[in-house]
Amino acid sequence: MSAIVESHRHDANARSLDVVGALVRRTMLRVRRMPSAFIPSLIMPVFQLIAFSGAFGAAVRMLNIDPMNWYMPLNAIQGASFGALGVSFGLLNDMETGFFDRVLMAPMRRSVIVFGAYAAAIARSIVPVTFVILVSFLGGLHTPGGPLAILMVVIASVMVALSASGLALGLTFRMRNLGAATLTQFAIFFGIFLSTSQVPLASMSGWLRACARVNPMTNILRFARQGFLGDITWDQTWGGLVAMTLMLVVSTIFALTGLRRYDR
Amino acid sequence: MSVATTALHSAQLTKRSVRGRLRQPAALAPAFIFPLFFAALGSASFNRLAQDPYFSANIATSFLNYAVAGAVVQGVLFGATSAASDLATDIEQGFFERLLASPISRVSIVLGRLAASMVVGVTQVVVFMTLFIIFGARVKSGPLGVVGLIVSGALLGLAMAGLMAAIAIKSGSPEVVQGSFPLVFVLLFLSSAFFPRHYMTGWYRTVADWNPMSHIVEGMQGFMNHDLAADQFVKAWLIPLAVAVIGIAFALRSLNKRLAAT
Repeated sequence: MSAIVESHRHDANARSLDVVGALVRRTMLRVRRMPSAFIPSLIMPVFQLIAFSGAFGAAVRMLNIDPMNWYMPLNAIQGASFGALGVSFGLLNDMETGFFDRVLMAPMRRSVIVFGAYAAAIARSIVPVTFVILVSFLGGLHTPGGPLAILMVVIASVMVALSASGLALGLTFRMRNLGAATLTQFAIFFGIFLSTSQVPLASMSGWLRACARVNPMTNILRFARQGFLGDITWDQTWGGLVAMTLMLVVSTIFALTGLRRYDR
Repeated sequence: MSVATTALHSAQLTKRSVRGRLRQPAALAPAFIFPLFFAALGSASFNRLAQDPYFSANIATSFLNYAVAGAVVQGVLFGATSAASDLATDIEQGFFERLLASPISRVSIVLGRLAASMVVGVTQVVVFMTLFIIFGARVKSGPLGVVGLIVSGALLGLAMAGLMAAIAIKSGSPEVVQGSFPLVFVLLFLSSAFFPRHYMTGWYRTVADWNPMSHIVEGMQGFMNHDLAADQFVKAWLIPLAVAVIGIAFALRSLNKRLAAT
């Protein structure tokens, strides 16, 4: 009996993976068919990288920090988050065309819808991150922390992109209109900029410093930047790991409860 | 049609446009929220720069004082783009055709929108200045400097709305107008709107030097941070005025082409 149950569980897991794979393929197909909707999320972080390091470079150069090294992780995270937001637009489109109702009728676990969207978000976010990293190397990026620095920035970007996707999905399930994506964009924007996005904590003053101190994005940026500013240490790593994990857990719960509410 | 009739029609359409903007607070909000946010962010992030002797002696007494002009320009550009987007929506939804069928001056269709942009621009400058002064910004050139800033905001609104209206009339699509906003964004970032040119280096500095937006912003910054001087009026008034003339010419040309096509 237990062998049969085990076999069913194995089948269900295999089927879930198939669905996740299909959802990722579908997202990438949408990117290929509508590149105009994806290209801005590719170009904007690169432009911002150039603009921030060009315009505000002097502010961090005064602190003996290389502007490209300071701003690249920020723009990689930002690009990944906005790139991942495409899953929200895709979901909305599926809701409008009725495709999503057909997905709900499929014999699979509901959570696969959210995790499938997460897998698609990873695929969508990796592209802008790679693009930003390549452009920054052309612009003089160096990695005093070794190759691990690149891995840290990729991990941070993907984790923030997943959290943004969770928030976007949760809002889309609840609101069922474009306002969900707009609200998520606002959340990403203010979340990122009310942290150490522009200058280190020590250089800030007043209200921004108070905000940045409690903003989890400050820890995440410290995690992502450390390999570009010096050695990678556990002291600068654990805070980021905790912040990313908490953000992901909370946003996933928000997405799953949103789906349950939609289902009802 | 006489000039008086055209002016009357333009005034009516201006009133309609301004009312339309006020009825869409969600569309109007970014033109107020983002510039204020960026100015607040800049002044909290870069205020230590104000301790640099060159900055305090030649540029501004505080980064907030420096950021005022950039915020005004950013807000006006947002607003002008939205105004042009509304014009494109009129075309898309057929209201433009109804205006053409009515006994109304053709030119006033464009002028009404542009004047509305100036009204919104003036409102933005007044709101921004009030808030910035409450938070500690000071206009060194006095009341005349405030007038200089307000007129500059109006002219810049007219200039950008003219250019964007040309795109709106030519395309008839709000998406195209909104899609062209990143170009404005690029123009703004590659200027001294957010950070002084003096501290920029390399090709970025060269681009900022040639970017007319840098000079418009610096004219406005002059009103904020220095005693009144002729070059402030030249930069903050005459450059936007010249762009406005070009923009309006393009917009009217696009209008004539659309009229000929219909």
